[in-house]
Amino acid sequence: MTTSTALAAVVPTGDGGGGRRGRRRHPVHHRGQEVAWGYVFIAPALLLFLVMGVYTLFFSAQLSFVRWNGLTPTWEWVGLKNYADLLWASPVYAPVVHRAALNTLGVMVAVPLLTVLVSFPLAVVLNQARRFAGVLRSVYFVPYVTAGIAVYMAWQYVLEPNGAVNLLLRTVGLGSLEQPQGWLGNPATAMPTLVVIMVWSGVPVAMLLYLTGLQSIDPSLLEAAQLDGAGWWRTNLAVVRPLLAGTTAVITLLNVREALQGFQIFLIMTNGGPAGRTNVLGLETYDLAFQQELAPTLGLASALGWLLFFAALAVAIVNQRVTREKP
Amino acid sequence: MTTVTDRTVPDAPAVQRTPRRRRTPAKVVVARSVVAVLLAGYAVVSLYPFLWMVSAAFKTQQEVIQGGHLIPHDPTLSTLVDTWAQLHFFDYFLNSLKVTGLTTLGVVVVYSAASYAFAVLRFPGRQAFFRLFLVLLFVPGVVTLLPIVLLENQMGILGTHLGLILPFVNGTAPLSILLLTNSFRSLPDELRDAARVDGAGELRIFTRIYLPLARPALITVALLTAIPTWNEYLLSRVSLNDPATFTLPIALQQLQSSNVVQYNQLMAGALIVVIPVIILFLATQRYFVNGLAGAVKG
Repeated sequence: MTTSTALAAVVPTGDGGGGRRGRRRHPVHHRGQEVAWGYVFIAPALLLFLVMGVYTLFFSAQLSFVRWNGLTPTWEWVGLKNYADLLWASPVYAPVVHRAALNTLGVMVAVPLLTVLVSFPLAVVLNQARRFAGVLRSVYFVPYVTAGIAVYMAWQYVLEPNGAVNLLLRTVGLGSLEQPQGWLGNPATAMPTLVVIMVWSGVPVAMLLYLTGLQSIDPSLLEAAQLDGAGWWRTNLAVVRPLLAGTTAVITLLNVREALQGFQIFLIMTNGGPAGRTNVLGLETYDLAFQQELAPTLGLASALGWLLFFAALAVAIVNQRVTREKP
Repeated sequence: MTTVTDRTVPDAPAVQRTPRRRRTPAKVVVARSVVAVLLAGYAVVSLYPFLWMVSAAFKTQQEVIQGGHLIPHDPTLSTLVDTWAQLHFFDYFLNSLKVTGLTTLGVVVVYSAASYAFAVLRFPGRQAFFRLFLVLLFVPGVVTLLPIVLLENQMGILGTHLGLILPFVNGTAPLSILLLTNSFRSLPDELRDAARVDGAGELRIFTRIYLPLARPALITVALLTAIPTWNEYLLSRVSLNDPATFTLPIALQQLQSSNVVQYNQLMAGALIVVIPVIILFLATQRYFVNGLAGAVKG
């Protein structure tokens, strides 16, 4: 209550610059104290950041130039060899990386595309819903807040050979589509299934962003389009969609980045299998770092992590260029 | 003008204002039904795995093996009770609560202070430090996972809850600082000046004036921290070894890998993991939804 009265008392008199000028009247005294407080206030954040952020980044960069298994007291400096091994030189790792890169590329194209194709219409329709819009939005959001191992296990359960998805197909007369090995057990269906689940997880945020965008569109624009004889489809495809191009770019970027770097779902649901069909670059990085027992692959893991970082950076830059040129 | 719109375009917004007694054209009825079916259909898709999760959690081992029906014929609470008590999910729940609670508290305390400095105070290097924090936004988690584990091993905190909390707190730095700094910046400078004239010190201005006014942003940051932390799996999996330290996601993973998968137990465990987040989300979704949209766009 005190604060709101203070606000009320202060706001009308202010012209934005008044306070600043007042502060400058006693430069020495004020600034000295303000500077000290400034450093005190950021000290905990900075300290944590130096240890957990800056230090680990340098450590990781350094690791990417060495050969080490994490246990021996010394490591062997190998320069750029790790990068070369991953990209082309090593007969062991390069082919695995190439296959994982292809899988990752597939995910990077399919997930953002499908997420946009599902969430845009969904947001348009939800935006026009008169009743239950709030309830529906909450329901649609549940996959996002619960994202994690619990939900992935529930998916595993329904995708089992004896699971609910096969049962559903049988019930609606599409028994021929059933997967007797389970949807994750069949090498041909494992990846598409995971893509569908990733889209399912990605739709909530995308839908929310589209909804925010839709609510910011000037309604008179849409009325004008309809007066010109544009129907519902025309209005949404020719007027609304271009207006939300920026939102689409953000959604694409988020999903591409997630597809490049995220691998939790792969680790939990298939661990790259069956037969390497769902191995992606993020998972390969994790595998090299934590699932190789005593083999000296920590350097390779770090190098692959940095390659992913640069790929994500490149995508972000391209994305920004493309969206900037469009309008 | 409105009447013209009304007649030529039946589903224009103006139609809402027309009196009920006028009959709705068949085309509109069809369109509305299609919309309703689509919306309800996607609601079912959204909840699909959860329906089966709940179903299995109330089934016996025998019934879950039989499969084939959503509604349990003979619903039982014993699966949930066993998982909660005998499989120690209560202990894991407390561990998760501790890690999530302390991480959230740490984030709110550390980054509200830092953001106050970035938004309000002026000191050399302010801009540079601010940008330094934001750079972290672009670094993939997989790059830092390995060095964090190696570093914590040296420090002797690997496998402890502190060893989870510190990197979790730091991981939220860019987003938290961005949201809180924006929120503090939107408050008028005169607030602080008036308080100073009244003789309030910096700490008092921060805790008594700025923090209460930034409450919505603080809640958003707390939620955007708490929910992913509750679900966190990767760092926990590679660092926690002692069952006494397990959080819920790790307990679930152990349950799956330790014996032949008993889906009723597994789904009961999964239900224990998701229920608190869903309740938290439903109770606070206003902050959550606004904050998330702001965070992603900003």
